[in-house]
Amino acid sequence: MESLSTAQIVNRLTGIFREVLDEDSLVLRDDLTADQVESWDSLNHIDLIVAVERNFKIRFTTAEITSLKNVGELVNLVQRKLVTVV
Amino acid sequence: MRWRNCFLLAVSYLFYFTWSLWAAAALAGATLLAFFAGKWAEETKPRAKITTLAAVMILIAYLFCFKIIAILPNNDLAGLAMPLGVSYYTFRLISYVLDLHWGKIKPEQRLTAFAAYVAFFPQIVAGPIQRAGDFLEQVPPPRAAALQGVPRIAWGFAKKMFVADQLAPAVNCVFAHVRGFHGPALMVGFYLYPLQLYVDFSALTDIAVGTGRLFGIQGPENFDRPFTASNIAAYWRRWHMSLTSWLTDYLFTPLRIATREAGRVGLAFSITINMIAIGIWHGLSWGYFVFGVVHAFYLNVDALTAKKRKSFFKAHHSLDSIGNWLGWLVTFHLVAAALVFFRARRVSDAIFLLSHLLSSLSDFGFELEQLVSTTGAHAFAVGITGYALLELAERFRPDQRWMYVKAVSPRWVRWSVNSAVATLVFIGILMLINEGGSKHPFLYAIY
Repeated sequence: MESLSTAQIVNRLTGIFREVLDEDSLVLRDDLTADQVESWDSLNHIDLIVAVERNFKIRFTTAEITSLKNVGELVNLVQRKLVTVV
Repeated sequence: MRWRNCFLLAVSYLFYFTWSLWAAAALAGATLLAFFAGKWAEETKPRAKITTLAAVMILIAYLFCFKIIAILPNNDLAGLAMPLGVSYYTFRLISYVLDLHWGKIKPEQRLTAFAAYVAFFPQIVAGPIQRAGDFLEQVPPPRAAALQGVPRIAWGFAKKMFVADQLAPAVNCVFAHVRGFHGPALMVGFYLYPLQLYVDFSALTDIAVGTGRLFGIQGPENFDRPFTASNIAAYWRRWHMSLTSWLTDYLFTPLRIATREAGRVGLAFSITINMIAIGIWHGLSWGYFVFGVVHAFYLNVDALTAKKRKSFFKAHHSLDSIGNWLGWLVTFHLVAAALVFFRARRVSDAIFLLSHLLSSLSDFGFELEQLVSTTGAHAFAVGITGYALLELAERFRPDQRWMYVKAVSPRWVRWSVNSAVATLVFIGILMLINEGGSKHPFLYAIY
């Protein structure tokens, strides 16, 4: 498994978020939450998670998904998962 | 500090005792079950999943038992009437157990604080459904600022008396004799019931949140101007928010995660189960079930067309405002149609009402006059005017504007406004005493 820097992960996540949420100019920040993005709601939240899983070839547990609070935590989770995959 | 938790608990149980002793015992039993299940799950990590699952299943079975007893014909178990607020406190307990399991919170060590959370009397009758973490970090509550709850309580009572209860006679009359009316009167039921239900339930939430404030607890909100929503998904983010966010977190999202590989089918399945659950949470009746199914249909169509609608309006910016207006109009009518199933005594009555909405419209004035003269023209006029004022107040929030103005106003302005408001409240109370109190119970205090 490739090792990715935080910046590379954020970069790839930005692409995924922009595509799934259909928001071409969305900029990810650590403290960004679904409440702050109009098109990011509970109906497409899991689509977003699935897209992240497929892109990074990782798998999250229910507990991991439900306890995510913001984009920063997602970045950390992806990073942890990539390390364990290696 | 500890005595304040004991005080909260004592007041809450005293309130519950006055309703029923055995129901209080059942409440205590359910509370202990969730409290110790949380502890066991933490202590026996490898078996945590089994403990959590068992606790959740028992709590769901507990709730279902009462829902089933409530619909038994010739209720032989009449003594086992539905415990007050059982639908609300069971959901609070389930969320606690699941939040622990998912690592969102730590097990609560203070049994008094936990029991006070479950039984907290301002929220036990009709919510809002507060999450354990949110409540428990506020206890023991600070002493200051308790009186901030008073205006909110007064506002709730005003909404209930001057709007909801004024709309009630006409709405009740239509739904009691659906087959005796034609289009014009049926339209009154169709259009006014959503308004009555919203004002009634949000008034109860105002009183619950305000009373919570008196005891130093800030509860969650339940409504955010729901009838301004311009699509169904947005409506559900603004209506009975503490229930919908509960179901999103503990039912919809776990289902969606479990079915994530199934794509659109998984989404449709999760939406459908979630909306049916919202329906039958209110009671095991065909009306509530159909209400859930109808909303499941709406939301599925909404979710499946969301991207297309978005790209259409992206390409046609000039149609944005028309789209919003049209969306608002369609959403309100869809919501009102589903609520007919929620309110009608039988599903067949609901179908009759919806299929006869446009019948005999040429007699509009005559039938409307007949209905209103039976149920009270005065109440009808007050109710509708009151609702319009309420929408305006929620849109322009004069109370918040006043807070800004107050800070820079001279003393005589502050005093004039305060005296005017106090006089209005006083007149309201006199009118209430004169009317002999509310004749209509709160609509949402039965779940």
